Amino acid sequence: MACAVRRLRIGSALPLGCALAALCPASAAASDLRLFTPDTLEVAGDLRLVAVNGEKSWLDRGFGKLRSGSDGDLRVHPELGNVDLVWQPQFTWSLSATIVGSLQGGERTQAGLSQAYLSLKPMRSASGTAFSARAGLMWPPVSLEHEGADWHVADSITPSAINSWIGEEVRPVAAEGTVAANLGASKLRATAALFAANDTAGTLLTFRGWALHDRTTLAFNRWPLPPLGEEFTGVQAPFTHPLIDLHPGFAHRPGFYAKLAFQPPAPVRIELFRYDNRANPEDVTNHLEWGWNTQFDNLGIVANLGGGAELKAQALQGRTRMGFVEEGRRWVDNRFRSAFVLLSKPFGPFGIAVRGEAFGTRNRGSWWDDEYDEHGWSAMVAAKRRFGPVTGLLELLHVSSESPAREHIGEAPSQRQTQLQAEMRMRW
Amino acid sequence: MVRGLLAFAAGLALAAPVAAASLTVRVVDSSGKPVRDAVVTLYPASGARPLKPSGRYTVSQQNLQFHPFLSIVPVGADVSFPNFDNTKHHVYSFSAAKRFELKLFAKDQSRTVHFDKPGVVALGCNIHDQMSAFIVVTDSQWTARTNGQGVASFSDAPNAPGRLVLWHPYLRTPGGTMQQQVASGQRSAGFKVRLRPPPPAMSMDY
Repeated sequence: MACAVRRLRIGSALPLGCALAALCPASAAASDLRLFTPDTLEVAGDLRLVAVNGEKSWLDRGFGKLRSGSDGDLRVHPELGNVDLVWQPQFTWSLSATIVGSLQGGERTQAGLSQAYLSLKPMRSASGTAFSARAGLMWPPVSLEHEGADWHVADSITPSAINSWIGEEVRPVAAEGTVAANLGASKLRATAALFAANDTAGTLLTFRGWALHDRTTLAFNRWPLPPLGEEFTGVQAPFTHPLIDLHPGFAHRPGFYAKLAFQPPAPVRIELFRYDNRANPEDVTNHLEWGWNTQFDNLGIVANLGGGAELKAQALQGRTRMGFVEEGRRWVDNRFRSAFVLLSKPFGPFGIAVRGEAFGTRNRGSWWDDEYDEHGWSAMVAAKRRFGPVTGLLELLHVSSESPAREHIGEAPSQRQTQLQAEMRMRW
Repeated sequence: MVRGLLAFAAGLALAAPVAAASLTVRVVDSSGKPVRDAVVTLYPASGARPLKPSGRYTVSQQNLQFHPFLSIVPVGADVSFPNFDNTKHHVYSFSAAKRFELKLFAKDQSRTVHFDKPGVVALGCNIHDQMSAFIVVTDSQWTARTNGQGVASFSDAPNAPGRLVLWHPYLRTPGGTMQQQVASGQRSAGFKVRLRPPPPAMSMDY
């Protein structure tokens, strides 16, 4: 594992350096240089009080789908949420960087690099056509729930299952270009990217199932997997590094993602996103981390309903495969899908949000078969109030799911869990 | 004495057409509903009288929007663009009346632009697609915007023939303007317009 991470660290230096050189305009105006001025730094963080019942959290090597878990009884505890230090130096008026360091509290407290990328945003043309580019460690533009340089959840504390998974397993090092154009009264935005170092995407989703939490993967950190059962014990490591390049030579087998966003002359935006990590499902490290060949499509819709009310919806479906072919099927062949609808409405300094979602997996692998199919749903209601730089949030979340993999630790396949969180979010 | 009175009367008769009088202009849409934020400018045939810039003209950025959405300023005005958002803005215009860029300025910073030609200046932000606003730079002191009742009034319009020019950001006409003549002594005028729906105030950024 250490070798693979070292290979990623050393190997990523050259392409990132090339990307920087390519993005850097020849005539950098010294007057635009702002490295440590107050507007380049931001600190955001939250403290929360959590009341939760149900099973042990996945962060504690259980199958619980939330950030916090219990042993069945109601458990109430204070918790440090996420603290982010954002540094956005400006090199020229069109070239900047975003570096985000994070501390995430609770089970398995960890700190590290959350994002590190360069952004180029030159002036658009008189026709309105605009080009922009990013390169580095960043989240692909999938989530409709996250915003800001610190990638915080806007309307609630806990994101949907889809965007929880994006935050934990879709962590590439990418070079991305975007073109935005006006088509009469409509707007079109197209993005394409090549990426590397996301070869294990799908590991958590298969062995643990979907989850709902606001923990995100920090560079080179790893997540625990729940007990794997006898088929995979000694075959798959009991952990996964979402940011890792397994194939020999950094970016020798790059993946890609692409996105189209369209806004007709109405307050609606439609987004289509396609991801394929092109990982070799037979690649494996000395520490038994495998390549997971993963593709998914995401449909997103945002509609302004008037009076500040907004509807956001996402539907994602995909497939991930791992291991060798036996009897015509790979060890793992997991088709996964999820969808949510989120409604939000501001009332002056107040805001409320309601979300409903469903998720599931369908397994047809030779080792991981339909006995491990998962089905579930969740419902969430959140309220928030702004007090200057402080925002108070209250969130009630219920999740219900059935996953036979829980029998590996002697739990009933069907579990329900309810969590109430009160959060104080600060930003400077 | 009589000759003097006759000369005075003749002088009054000649002066009457150019004396000030009120002129009210009403703008409605195709269904008869009043149209607000239309800019009406009166150009007397004898020549427009430009207004001297006075006071402060400001278009701020707050909550990822320009405030106000529509400004009317005289030729020669200096307009400041303070940023009250936590994010940087990159204000620009490609309009013929004033082409400019205010590259990246942060919260509580401000930039100033001198507007030296008449015309409509469409504003945008290179960072935030959804931000939009307009500045009408006028060379006539008789320039007003319609209120909620679709009415623009000139209490001191010259009592003389002239030309009314109407502009609205979403007017469905070539060049986005309409014109009509006004006769000497005319106290009211009206425009019936067709408007495009305003673009949705949604971000395309992600």
